[in-house]
Amino acid sequence: MSQSILPDDELMSPGHLGCQGCGAGNAMRFALKGLGPKTIIVMPACCWSVIDGPFPHSAIGVPVFHTAFETAGSTASGVKAGLVMRGDTETEVVAWAGDGGTFDIGLQALSGAAERNEDFIYVCYDNEAYMNTGIQRSGATPLGAWTTTTPTEFPKENPKKNILDILVAHRIPYATTASIAYPEDMIAKFQKARKIKGTRFVHIFAPCPTGWKTAPELTIELARLATETLMFPLLEVYDGERYVVHKPRRIKPVSEYVKPQGRFRHLQEADIERMQREVDRNWRRLLAKEAAGAAEAAQ
Amino acid sequence: MKIVIEGNHAVSYGAKAADVDVIAAYPITPQTQVVELLSEMCATGELNAKFIKVESEHSAMAAAVGASAAGARAFTATSSQGLLLMHEMLHWAVGARLPIVMANINRAVGPPWNVWSDQNDSLSQRDVGWLQVYCESNQEVFDTVLHSFWVSEQLMLPTMLILDAFYLSHTSEIVDVMEADEARKFLPPFQPKQFLDPKDPHSFGNLTAPDAYYELRYEIDEDLRRGIELMKKADEEFEKLYGRSYGIIEEYRTEGAEILLFTSGTITSTSRVVIDEWRDRGKKVGLVKMRLFRPFPIDDVRRICRPAKKIAVIDRNIGFSIGGIWAQEIRAALYNSGYHKPVFGFIAGIGGRDVTPETVSEVLDHVDHMDTPDQDVYWIGVKHEPVHSAR
Amino acid sequence: MKKKSEKKRIYRGVEEMPIAAISESDMSWNKTGSWRNVRPLYDPKTSPCIAGCPAETNIQGYIKLMQQKEYEEAVRLLWEKNPMPSVCGRVCFHPCTEKCARGGIEEPLNIPAIERFLGDWAIENGVTETPENEAPRDATIAVVGGGPGGLSFAYFMAKKGYPVTIYEAKEELGGVLRYGIPEYRLPKDILDKEIGRILELGIKVKTGQDVGENVSVEEIGRHSASFLAIGLQKSRRLGLDGEDAEGVMTGLTFLKSINAGSPVSIGKRALVIGGGNTAMDVARSAIRLGAEVEVVYRRTRDEMPAIKDEVEEAAAEGAKLTLLAAPVAILVENGKFKGIRVQRMELGEPDESGRKRPVPIRGSEYEIMGDSLLVAAGELSNAQAFEKMVKTTNGLIVTDDIGHTTHERIFAGGDVVTGAATVIEAIARGRKAAKYVHARLTGVIVELEREKKVISMSDINEAYFTPTRQVATSHVPLEGMRNRFAEVKQRFTDEEAREEIERCMSCGVCNACDICWMFCPDAAISRQDGVYTINYDYCKGCLICQHECPRGVISSEGEDV
Repeated sequence: MSQSILPDDELMSPGHLGCQGCGAGNAMRFALKGLGPKTIIVMPACCWSVIDGPFPHSAIGVPVFHTAFETAGSTASGVKAGLVMRGDTETEVVAWAGDGGTFDIGLQALSGAAERNEDFIYVCYDNEAYMNTGIQRSGATPLGAWTTTTPTEFPKENPKKNILDILVAHRIPYATTASIAYPEDMIAKFQKARKIKGTRFVHIFAPCPTGWKTAPELTIELARLATETLMFPLLEVYDGERYVVHKPRRIKPVSEYVKPQGRFRHLQEADIERMQREVDRNWRRLLAKEAAGAAEAAQ
Repeated sequence: MKIVIEGNHAVSYGAKAADVDVIAAYPITPQTQVVELLSEMCATGELNAKFIKVESEHSAMAAAVGASAAGARAFTATSSQGLLLMHEMLHWAVGARLPIVMANINRAVGPPWNVWSDQNDSLSQRDVGWLQVYCESNQEVFDTVLHSFWVSEQLMLPTMLILDAFYLSHTSEIVDVMEADEARKFLPPFQPKQFLDPKDPHSFGNLTAPDAYYELRYEIDEDLRRGIELMKKADEEFEKLYGRSYGIIEEYRTEGAEILLFTSGTITSTSRVVIDEWRDRGKKVGLVKMRLFRPFPIDDVRRICRPAKKIAVIDRNIGFSIGGIWAQEIRAALYNSGYHKPVFGFIAGIGGRDVTPETVSEVLDHVDHMDTPDQDVYWIGVKHEPVHSAR
Repeated sequence: MKKKSEKKRIYRGVEEMPIAAISESDMSWNKTGSWRNVRPLYDPKTSPCIAGCPAETNIQGYIKLMQQKEYEEAVRLLWEKNPMPSVCGRVCFHPCTEKCARGGIEEPLNIPAIERFLGDWAIENGVTETPENEAPRDATIAVVGGGPGGLSFAYFMAKKGYPVTIYEAKEELGGVLRYGIPEYRLPKDILDKEIGRILELGIKVKTGQDVGENVSVEEIGRHSASFLAIGLQKSRRLGLDGEDAEGVMTGLTFLKSINAGSPVSIGKRALVIGGGNTAMDVARSAIRLGAEVEVVYRRTRDEMPAIKDEVEEAAAEGAKLTLLAAPVAILVENGKFKGIRVQRMELGEPDESGRKRPVPIRGSEYEIMGDSLLVAAGELSNAQAFEKMVKTTNGLIVTDDIGHTTHERIFAGGDVVTGAATVIEAIARGRKAAKYVHARLTGVIVELEREKKVISMSDINEAYFTPTRQVATSHVPLEGMRNRFAEVKQRFTDEEAREEIERCMSCGVCNACDICWMFCPDAAISRQDGVYTINYDYCKGCLICQHECPRGVISSEGEDV
């Protein structure tokens, strides 16, 4: 076994306020390793707004601008413009938003920025609900999940919004998914993203033990299972067209991912079967897109 | 260089003279010409600035906040619905202590849709902590852009300069504009003390408990108050260089006046004519032009009102159920003055209804014939159905 | 990075404050360790291979050193428990491999091949011993029996600086390694080289010295300590008439004759009685001498005590296995062996060895013809010479589990104590006894090693291991071999060795894979030169590190609240 290739530098100090086993903690740590110190983070309301710690302290080792919930895309546009006008074209501006601030309230600003191809990296770390305010449903909450606003008597009735499709539709130069279970992949993607100009979108899967009602030690395993069961595939899309889809070495049934999670405990076998069919269908669609993109590129 | 331009373009020229770095704006009637001319200036390189064509006003202010936080000189313009949409971010600019300058074209708020002049949009932002300056002429608009940056960048608080829809925005006047290198003699480049800098990383705006938030707000209040002296100083410095001055509050023929009429915006211009007429008839009336709304010049108002007998205020706005906003502020300023004067509050011009010399005369008439107001608020010219005697 | 903070900043007045909520330092003042109610800890455990090895060879340890290309360090680590890896890699029944947790992923590591590779490397590269000088001035040590047990004890004592004399009844050292195990399994030159290295520690050897005959037992007893490892020299007889006829011999006799260079004639068809390693050695040797071979064993194939590989190889080389059959009579004609009559068996209730007792089936007898009968039905001890000094039971010397006999200065180990067992077992006992003897002679107290938990598959995180096939040992097939007694199993090439050692999961022992350091959401684990430290000031006790550790190194315990 050889040591990992992860860079040594820690740009996130311990002592932050993430829960035990917080997936967002891993997400930030890996992202910072991939981005390096020449980074400015623009952070709308999300778990990390609190995790970062109270004034006058901050766990994140690069400059952070806390901004209003729906403004990640717009504030980041402004910061980048300001930097460039001051003569700094090297510092990377990174919007760091949760699923709430991306899929829902922040979608307009993100879409506007993507349409303008603003030169920043937009990161959505997705724990599939409004966790910071106490586990309410978001557009990212998967079908059937319990949250405080989708109780078990009436769990989430609509499927998870496909945010990657939305960003791909804007034809930005680089859109990718990443997962805290695959840190080397995530870090490589951030390093790659840094070298691209224009709007780059990174959708990170970050399980939340508190909101998912799972044991804290399972956080990484759940992220891994999400990819191995194809619930959260790892893929990159270049210029809205060319797909590169990672095919897991072993594909597991969705039930393995669902069973350890308290937020899915009320599901019946029929629900899980339906979930499996949906996952399979989405996977076939994804592979078809990959093939179509390759055919297009070959022209 | 003197050119004939509409108020909106005066704003554009002002921003260009201020050599702004980042503009983020969204079009709305009657502001559109501001951003159209600025777009052209950026496109031709006349103005070296990044123009972010955001997808809403909320995003416009968010982008301006971001740019300013990065240490750039940021500017935007809007009106009415757009200003309201920005409301959350107006607070943000203040809390983050960012010297953004914005031009707001005073336009009535909907529903129903109304594009004409009315001050409710800007005045309903009175408590956010922005400085507010109300302009009477296109020259003043141009000059105030520069004053605003000068003051904001020292206070680290944002400033809104305000001009009436159509009366100024779309009306051409002679404006003596200057280029950026000339304006630089007055307004130096922006040198922020705190900004987003990877070489000296800090976080801005972390969660703050009551044990510290209180003091941060106290600081804003203290600093905003200092804006009064700074605005005066800006005006003085500007006058030394360019010969034009407006003060923060202007007295027009107030010597020995028994009735003082307070106005703001273009109503002031109309009122000057009426005051002249009344003075010609031997009436002891004077005009006070309110230019600085925030920070409110409490001491100046108290000083000015002391020798008068009665105060009249024309508000092109309404604070529902409590009266015109300028009137409320003036009353509040006078309350602890140690003396009492009756303040007559008049509402006129809302939604762009014309305020003519007749309107102003009507106001002065009212006040002339009464010792104290018998109503908190007088709505001038409300149409009522005539009463039929045969009912 | 932001400035480190010692404690939470509380402002005493607005004068000290910045104009906005601008941070001044990081969050390291906040010792989130107070949140825990369980704590993770690095708690190395025993790899199952090590637990499975009777000699506790540090297999995980030497493989790790091999991965780091430190072959010399690796072999020295191996020698700390077993001085004869080139031998054992070839002949051991490798319980380590049965226990190897990699078997739970796809296939176990080919540990015998790796051990042999390393042992042979040491021989080729002339790696020498580095003895310590810890022996008391006037201590002398005697070893009776130059087989694996005796050689092991002698080695470990000599390594500590003791003057050791081995008394060996036969002409050469090696015991069963030389006189029992055939050349094609263990080439003599390898054995000689490995023994040679052991002797370089200054061990004196007296061959042709049968204690009890040429040398008195009392003389042995006069040394500061002595070790009896004479093995089992007698073959068990079938107890049938005709057992002494021409053409009938013990398997051991047959093997010895081959080793001596003049194999006894066995004719065209040889019958072998027995199911142990000796029986297999006999069968395969007979095949190499050109005979057709039939092995008769009274239980089933699964119950044959021989190493499974050996049975497979024997069968592959052409030995016929006749199972569930036992001889009831030896057929002799004109004083010469002709064949046997056998009776079929079925399995009944288990006997005292735990195996099902074979029960004869009435009327099932039949005859098997042959030119020779090679009896390999078990070995017995001949320790009578020592019975006046030490207690024996059923011919086996009685010892405690350290190897101490009833005589104060006499120790024993190997088959003469356990009954028929294995080479590695004998080696293990030799070392254990040596350790104790040295402690006694120097007055040093032996520390009991803490019992560490043995890793099982539930401690392994399979997600981190990609299934790959075991690199199998190449065999040279018997057909076409010019020298029919040439070694069958081939040594790994360098690439094969590198490939196979990479599959080792390092069960229970940290190999600096970084996983714990990587996945801590609080960056509370630091790494420095392959050593990880949990910062308990910040560790929140989420136990992700424990759960993700691929090899079960991290344990957890409740926190004192």
